Amino acid sequence: MTPRESGSEGAAPLRPLGGSGAPGAPVRSEGSGNRRTFGFSNRTVAVALAVFALGYLVLAFQVPEYTAVNVPVQPGTLPRWLGAVLLVLAVLLFFQRTPDATDDEAAPEDEAADGGTAPRDGSDGDGPGAEDGGPAATGKGAASAPGCATGTGALGRLRDPRLEVALFVAALIVYVALFEPLGFILSTALYLGSTTVYLGYRRHVATAAVAVGVPLVLYLAMSEGLGVVLPSGPLPF
Amino acid sequence: MLDQLVQGFAVAVTPQNLLFVLIGVLAGTVIGILPGLGPMSAIALMIPIAYGMDPTSAIIMLAGVYYGAIFGGSTSSILLNAPGVAGTVATSFDGYPMARQGKAGKALAIAALSSFTGGTIGVVGLMMIAPSLASFAVSFGPTEYFALMVLGLTAVVSLAGRDLVKGLVSAVVGVMVALVGIDSQTAITRFTFDLPELFEGVEFLIVALGVFALAEVLVMLNRRGRGGARGGVTSLRLSGRELARITPPTLRSGVLGFFTGVLPGAGATVASFLSYSTEKRIAKDGATFGRGNPKGVAAPESANNAAAVGSFVPLMTLGVPGSGTTAILLGALLVLGVQPGPLMLTDNPDMFWGLVASMYIGSAVLLVLNLPLIPVFAKVLKTPKAVLIPLVVVFCVVGVYGLSFSVFDLGLLTAFGVVGFLMRQNDFPAAPMILGLILGGLMEKSMRQALQISGGDWSVFVTEPISAALVALAVLSMVPSLVRAVRERVAGRSAAGVAAASAGRGAEEDSDRAESLRS
Amino acid sequence: MRRITSPFPSRPGTGLTRARALRLAAAAAVLPLAVAACGESGGTTDADGAWEPNRPIEITAPAATGGGWDTLARTSARLLESEGLVDQSVQVVNKPGAGGAIGWAYVAGREADPHTLFVTSPPIILVPMAGDSEYDHEDFTPIARLATDYMVYLVPADSEMETFDDLVETVDAGGANIGGGSGPGSMDHVALAGAVNAAGGDAAGISYVPFDGGGEAMTALLGGHVDAAVAGASEAAGMLEAGELRALAISSPEPVAAYPDVPTLLDQDVDFTFDIWRGVMAPAGLEEAQVAYYEDLFAELMETEAWQRESASLGWTDAYQNSDDFGAFLDERRSEFTEILTEVGLQ
Repeated sequence: MTPRESGSEGAAPLRPLGGSGAPGAPVRSEGSGNRRTFGFSNRTVAVALAVFALGYLVLAFQVPEYTAVNVPVQPGTLPRWLGAVLLVLAVLLFFQRTPDATDDEAAPEDEAADGGTAPRDGSDGDGPGAEDGGPAATGKGAASAPGCATGTGALGRLRDPRLEVALFVAALIVYVALFEPLGFILSTALYLGSTTVYLGYRRHVATAAVAVGVPLVLYLAMSEGLGVVLPSGPLPF
Repeated sequence: MLDQLVQGFAVAVTPQNLLFVLIGVLAGTVIGILPGLGPMSAIALMIPIAYGMDPTSAIIMLAGVYYGAIFGGSTSSILLNAPGVAGTVATSFDGYPMARQGKAGKALAIAALSSFTGGTIGVVGLMMIAPSLASFAVSFGPTEYFALMVLGLTAVVSLAGRDLVKGLVSAVVGVMVALVGIDSQTAITRFTFDLPELFEGVEFLIVALGVFALAEVLVMLNRRGRGGARGGVTSLRLSGRELARITPPTLRSGVLGFFTGVLPGAGATVASFLSYSTEKRIAKDGATFGRGNPKGVAAPESANNAAAVGSFVPLMTLGVPGSGTTAILLGALLVLGVQPGPLMLTDNPDMFWGLVASMYIGSAVLLVLNLPLIPVFAKVLKTPKAVLIPLVVVFCVVGVYGLSFSVFDLGLLTAFGVVGFLMRQNDFPAAPMILGLILGGLMEKSMRQALQISGGDWSVFVTEPISAALVALAVLSMVPSLVRAVRERVAGRSAAGVAAASAGRGAEEDSDRAESLRS
Repeated sequence: MRRITSPFPSRPGTGLTRARALRLAAAAAVLPLAVAACGESGGTTDADGAWEPNRPIEITAPAATGGGWDTLARTSARLLESEGLVDQSVQVVNKPGAGGAIGWAYVAGREADPHTLFVTSPPIILVPMAGDSEYDHEDFTPIARLATDYMVYLVPADSEMETFDDLVETVDAGGANIGGGSGPGSMDHVALAGAVNAAGGDAAGISYVPFDGGGEAMTALLGGHVDAAVAGASEAAGMLEAGELRALAISSPEPVAAYPDVPTLLDQDVDFTFDIWRGVMAPAGLEEAQVAYYEDLFAELMETEAWQRESASLGWTDAYQNSDDFGAFLDERRSEFTEILTEVGLQ
């Protein structure tokens, strides 16, 4: 939309708090050395999967047999196999070594932030430890941001990216919960506006235009153009 | 045959019909770009407009919406990792990584070119063998579909990437999700927790938008905005070498996609996955699939467009819809007073061949329209992330709500977003999960139908010729990947120190390197 | 897990999800605005007891866009407006899910709202019987039955079977797989089992293969993967006309003009008929004047030329019944279906 923004976008200072960065210090407490956030060791994941598989198996064995008509494969058959296979896979995973999130991937990852090549950031996972070096590299810039919360192009305001993700999910849940009571237009405008400002976009006129314009256009396109009725909420149309 | 086609073009190039082709493909492209809002609802909702139109013009327009949507769906897959249409989910596997590497223009150009090629292959296929295709379509019964799904599912082994165990976990969970709901074979509810919202199962696009688009947004946040698609867009021009590289996969996938589309039980989504995994398996650089390999964009895009065209064969010549979208097209035809069926070609040749010709024109129109638009679309990536991220979320929400009108499903979308994010952070690939979700349910259904018919005799899967061939192919196709996986593991274990050496093997073998580093 | 015996929490309301509760809360919040203008029940009842809507009418399709219910809802809505039969606008709202149960719960939550209607067909009887819906047809006000379609029992054109009795014999000998477009205990299966039962065959012994829709079942039949299939007559029209498939019987009480060669089951001394009827219902608690208004409205609609033309092309036969007759019809069908399902062992 505003190409001018993009220049500062990718390379922008990324951690508004903490001035010179204090790279990852508060975040990097768990895991083996350089673990990424929400990354768990194979053992932890395996245990979680095993618990899930067991719960699934319990449910699978509660799927009733179908006796009214003779059927060759019961509805519970495949689920039981799936549960068992998942259990076996969990065991295999438990004994598989957790790859260390070594720095060799973190470095190229940071360049990727600036539009470099992020070769292994496909659907098969992203570079571990991405957050580690980054803030350090760009922390200086953050210091120039006035106050401490609105560095241009910086996403979010919290020290810990884990909280940031949690907060974002919470905002999404609130949006979804308000979707029908407030109607599409109001809830979406509210969500777009607040999230955009929160994430650090500071051209408030543009934010307001997007927050009001997008829901209105979408609503009109859906209801007038396609006959899909989105919830209108307290608004009269 | 040829004179009929000439007649078809005569029907299609009347100014009126040309206009409707244009309207159809334009509307379809726009609808396809919006995540979630698929061609299905679009066509259903356009039926009132089609009333009072000449039936041939109407079907030409509605068909344009269908393949236009599949054409346009790739755009949001590539740019935002948010598949607009189920058939373009596979496109995001390599399209989005390409965009992140700053090759969004190229990826979009490849998608447009291979879509056009696939569509053309489909149309040529229709022209040449449409009448005899009907018998091919009916030769697939439950037994054969089961074997086809097994063949598709073995792709998990190659899609799993670096860690086979994690890939298999993903696939198993995908199948588990597919089984939620009322069992079609016995009407017993499974894993619904007594929630009526789950009785009809979990809509595929909700999962795809969650684990791809929303998860991507969360990953961006977690990284403070780094790692998204690159702002700058390189030119969309493809070098001769690049074109040469993607040509064979495009052609193969077009043919494969067309025949998959002809089967009423398969369709564009299955076609795109089959061709993607086939190309990944036979390509020399198969390991780079999933990390921005242009072939990984070309293959599914060619296949899904060819399949969309192919799906008109059972629709028009059998009166049997192969997908939700063609089911609605069938309804539209009936409302317009046209009864598709075996007599279509003799009773209504003008309509059939007019449609075929219009699809050819429509594919060309799509290409001409979309190539100049690529730089415009790619500008999306220049939107500041603080603005883009909430917008992506809103588009996902609108798409899902437009699909089911259910806040419950929005909750599911959120949940799958979180699951997808956790998967990403822990190196669980999402593609096998999607594959398991699409094919797992179909596999179970056809397996049980086949066994019901055979009276519980499992040997049918290897005694029926088509099924036996497909099963054999499935087994064979797994061998190279398994051998490689085992060999790498052994090699990695015995010589972890070789890591340094293997690092020199070049970027295309990243996965190998990571594998050896790990073990 | 399965709730055949104890479906949902039985008190209406407790089964509502949070989402629906929110929606109700929202409706409640908006209500004062709307009610202020139009009085308690909405609409106006004049001195001689006639009633007219004064807000847009909402027709709920308890299914996604594009299905049979959606087609009926959108066709009615469009024609009601374009033929000038209503002054208010008519909107279609899709509430898909759970074979209709989600949409029914939505309408049930709008008790006594005379501006909400929904389209309906046999699943409103069969789905609650399977324990998959908290609400059944008695929780709603029948407005009118509009149209109907019938089942046909199909074999490939070159099959040796000539009559429905031949099919029953093959079934009894254990030699026939019969495909249908829906799960066991749902419409196609009931239509098949009921007919086989009436012909004196062993309904529980049928090897019934459920497909996703009549189209898939017919494709499997064409490919020789099953020996017979049951499908809606309009679905099968193209195949029948082309002579690829042959219908052994149709489930109508009288021969149907569109398929003059197909004998009814009754013609073959099988005492069974099956209607795929389509109708309109409203929430519980409507006043008589309101019901009367809608009865007349749909009766008028069906007399329009546009309706005649479009319903014919969709393969529907007009079968109008007013509110009382429709209600009685639904009760009869339910006891009939209960009998059949008991016979097959599904109840």
